[in-house]
Amino acid sequence: MTELTSSPAPTTGPEPPAQPGAVALSRRAGLVARAVGLRYSGFALWALFIIIFALWIPDTFLATSTAKSIAGDQAITVMLALGALFTLSAGQYDLSCAQNLGLSAVVSSSLMVNSHVAPLPAVLLTLALGAGIGAANGLIVAVVGVNSFIATLGMSSILLALTEQISNDQFIGPLPASFQATLSHEPLGVPVITVYAVLLGAIVWYVLEHTPVGRRVYATGANADAARLAGVRTGRNVFWSFVATGTIAALAGTLLAARIGQTSSGLGPPYLLPAFAACFLGTTQIKLGRFNVWGTLLAIYLLATGVKGLQLAGGSIWITDLFNGVALIGAVSVAVIAQRRRQAPGSS
Amino acid sequence: MSVVDDNNALVLEDVSKVFQGQPALRGVDLTLRSGEVHALLGHNGSGKSTLIKILAGYHQPEPGARATLHGKPLSLGSAEAAHAAGITFVHQDLGVIDELDAVDNLALGARYQGRWWLSDRRERRAARERLAEYGVDLDVSTPLRDLSPARRTIVAVVRALQHGVGRGSVLVLDESTAALPAAEVSHLFELVREVRRQGGTILYVTHRLSEVFEIADRVSVLRDGRRVATRDVASLTHDGLVELIVGRSLSAFYPDPPAHGGDVVLEALDIRAPGLDAVTLRVCGGEIVGVAGLVGSGHEQLLATIFGGRERSSGTVAVGTDVVRPGDPRAAIEAGVAYASADRRRLGATATWTLRENVTLPAIPSRGPARWLAPRAERADVVPWLERLDVQPASPEHLFADLSGGNQQKVVLARWLRRGARVFLLDEPTAGIDVASKRAVYEALSTLAASGAGIVLSSSDAEELCAVCDRVLVLRDGRVAGELAGDELTTERLLTMSMRAGDGVPTPVGA
Repeated sequence: MTELTSSPAPTTGPEPPAQPGAVALSRRAGLVARAVGLRYSGFALWALFIIIFALWIPDTFLATSTAKSIAGDQAITVMLALGALFTLSAGQYDLSCAQNLGLSAVVSSSLMVNSHVAPLPAVLLTLALGAGIGAANGLIVAVVGVNSFIATLGMSSILLALTEQISNDQFIGPLPASFQATLSHEPLGVPVITVYAVLLGAIVWYVLEHTPVGRRVYATGANADAARLAGVRTGRNVFWSFVATGTIAALAGTLLAARIGQTSSGLGPPYLLPAFAACFLGTTQIKLGRFNVWGTLLAIYLLATGVKGLQLAGGSIWITDLFNGVALIGAVSVAVIAQRRRQAPGSS
Repeated sequence: MSVVDDNNALVLEDVSKVFQGQPALRGVDLTLRSGEVHALLGHNGSGKSTLIKILAGYHQPEPGARATLHGKPLSLGSAEAAHAAGITFVHQDLGVIDELDAVDNLALGARYQGRWWLSDRRERRAARERLAEYGVDLDVSTPLRDLSPARRTIVAVVRALQHGVGRGSVLVLDESTAALPAAEVSHLFELVREVRRQGGTILYVTHRLSEVFEIADRVSVLRDGRRVATRDVASLTHDGLVELIVGRSLSAFYPDPPAHGGDVVLEALDIRAPGLDAVTLRVCGGEIVGVAGLVGSGHEQLLATIFGGRERSSGTVAVGTDVVRPGDPRAAIEAGVAYASADRRRLGATATWTLRENVTLPAIPSRGPARWLAPRAERADVVPWLERLDVQPASPEHLFADLSGGNQQKVVLARWLRRGARVFLLDEPTAGIDVASKRAVYEALSTLAASGAGIVLSSSDAEELCAVCDRVLVLRDGRVAGELAGDELTTERLLTMSMRAGDGVPTPVGA
C-alpha cells in the first residue's frame, strides 16, 4: 500500500493547518494543556476548599472526626453513584435506583427483624431482589422499548409503594447487633464502609474502563446505532447495565441499614440527586465527557468537603442542597463552554 | 485597485486567513460575474470552506481583504452584512425542518402572510406562488421528510431566495448536492438555471466534477490556500480540471478493476424487505460488484439489509457455506462480513471517540482470564492498521470527528480489515470526499479485492461505479433491473437501466 502514501498532493493537507508538523503539534499541545487544566481542576478546587476552611474554622474543620465523618457519610452516595454509572454509561437513566436502595434497606431489615432470617441470607435475598428490579427495568427499556426516563420513573413509584407496604409506616429495628457490627471497625482509622465503597469503585473502574464489556457499554451509550452495526449487542448491554445498577443499589441499601441500625420508608429518595450530580460532575473530571469512576468519586468528596465546611461554619441545613445544585450546574456549564471553545476555531 | 464594473456581482480581493500561525487562505481574489453560475472547486484543505465561511460571516478575514458587491463595499466576516447585501447560503445540511411542510419552512425563512390569524389556505397559496416563481411545483403540505432529497433541497434553495433574484443577490450553494444521488441532481439544476435566467448569480461549491460541466459557466480552483485558476468551463476537459485541483497530472485516476475468479464469498438470495423485492446478489472473492439505482430503487437499503442492520422479511444470506442469522449484525460480522454505512459520522463510527476505540470496537483486545484492556497494548495494536491504510494522522488518540471524510472512511476500512472481514459491504464510500482522498479509497478497495476479499459498492455516482466495478447490479423499484459488465458497463447504459423502461430522461421537477 505504499503507493497510497504518495497519492495526496504533497503541498496539501487537512484544513486549516496545511502541514502535519509543528503547527498541528502545538495546536494539540494547547488543547492538551487546556484539557489537563479542566480535567484535574477538581483536585485544585478540593485543595482550595480544605485550605479555606482550615484557615476559617481550624478548630472544628481540622479535627480527625471531620475527615472521618465526610468519608463515612458519603460511602452510601458513592456506592449508589457507582451503580448508576453502569446505566448512565450505556446511555440510560435509572431513576429508580434511589428507591431501590430505600426498598432494599427496608426489605433486608424486615427479613432480619420480622422474619428472623440470618444476616447473610437476608443480604443475599435483598441483592437478588435488587438485581430482579434491575432486570425488570432492563426488559422494559431494552425489549419493550420504553424510554428509560419514563420506565424508571414509573418503577420508582412502584418501589415506593412496596417500601411503604412493607414498612407499614413504622420504623423497623433495631437490626441484629452482629449485622451492625460488620461496619463498626475502622482499619487504619478509616471507616470500613468507606473502604467498601472505594473497593467497589476499583471493581467498577476495572469493569467499565478496562474490560471489553465496559467498552461495549460505553459504545452503546455513545452511539447505539453505530455500536450495533459494529457488532455490539446493544440490547444486552442495556439490560445488564440495569441489572448492575439495581444490584449495587441494593447492596448500598443493605449497608445503609447496617449503618443506621433501624430503617423506615423514606430513606431512598434523598440519595438520588447527590448520586446523579456526582456522576454528571464526574464527566467534567479525569476523563472529559465520559462517565468515569474516579471523576465521580472526586466529585462526591469535593462536594462533601464544601458542604461539611459550610455546616461547621454555622450554615443551615439547606446549605447542602443549595451547594450541590449550584456546584452541579456551575461545573457542567464550565465544561460545556470549554468544550465549545475547543471545537469552535478552525473546525472546518 | 477595486474595479467598479457593472458586469461583476461579487468581487473579493486579497482575502487571507491564518489559523494559529498556519495560513489557510493566501491572498485570494475571486470575481463572480453577474448572472453566472460560478463553480468553486478544491479538495479538503484547499481553503474552500474557509473562504465560504468568511463570506458567510463565520470567520473574520485577515486585515487587508476587500470585497464589493455590485460596486458597493461589502464588509467581510459579518453575517449581518452578508445577509443585508443579499448573499444567501444553502449549506450541505440544508437547515430545513423535516417535520414541517414546505409552507412552514418557507414562512420560517421569511414570515407568514397573516400577522394575527394564520389561514392555512392563504399560506399554502403564498407558498405555491413563491415556488412557482422558479417553475417549481410540489405538494406544499407534505412534511419535507416525505419528499425526495432533491425536493427538500429545492425548498431550501427557494427559501434562501426570499428576497428574490435580480436584486443583486448572490446565492451560494455550499455542497448542497453532496447528499443527493447523481440522478436527482438534475432536478436541482432546473432550479439553478431558472435562477440564472432571472439574473441571479450563483457560487456553486461541489466535489462532483460532472456537475461542474453540467451547470457551471466558469470555474475557480483553490489549492493550498491560493486560487490557482479561473477558467471558462467550455475550455476545460475533465482530466484538465482534475489536474488543476490536484496540482499534478493523474495518470490513472481510477485503478484498474481487479481480475476476479475466486469462489463465491457472499450469496444473498431472494432478499425481501420494505423497499426490496426478491433481490439476489452473488459476490466472488477478488471481485468488486456495484449496486446502482435511483433514489427509492432500493440500492440505499440493500447492503444494510444483507448485513442485518435492517430487518428483512425473507431471503437468506450465506457467507461461503455458512448461512447468516438475519437481523443480527454481530452474526454477520462473525461470518466475516463488514458494513460501512453511507452516514459515516452517525452510523459508521462513534464520532466523539478516538480512532483507537473505533478501530477495536468489533474485536476489543484484552489479556488474560480477567479480560484486562490495556490502552498501551491497544494503541500498539491499532497503529499498524492506521498506517496500512495511510490514515492521516495515523495517531490512535485522535478523535474520529476531527478527521476529513476520506480519512474517516479509511478508519472504517481499517476497523474491518483488522476484524478479518472477507466481504465488504460499502454504502456510498466516497460521498463527500475530496478528489485525492477518493483515489486513496479506490486504491484501498483495489488492494482489498486483490487480496481475495469480495466487495460490494453501493453508489449513486455512475461514473465511479463504471470505473471501479467489475460488474454492476442495477435496481429499480426494489427489484434487480439488470446487470452490466464489461463493454456494456457505461454510465449511459447504467442510467438508462436505472430509469423506468421507456422513460429515457429524468423526470422534470414537480412531475
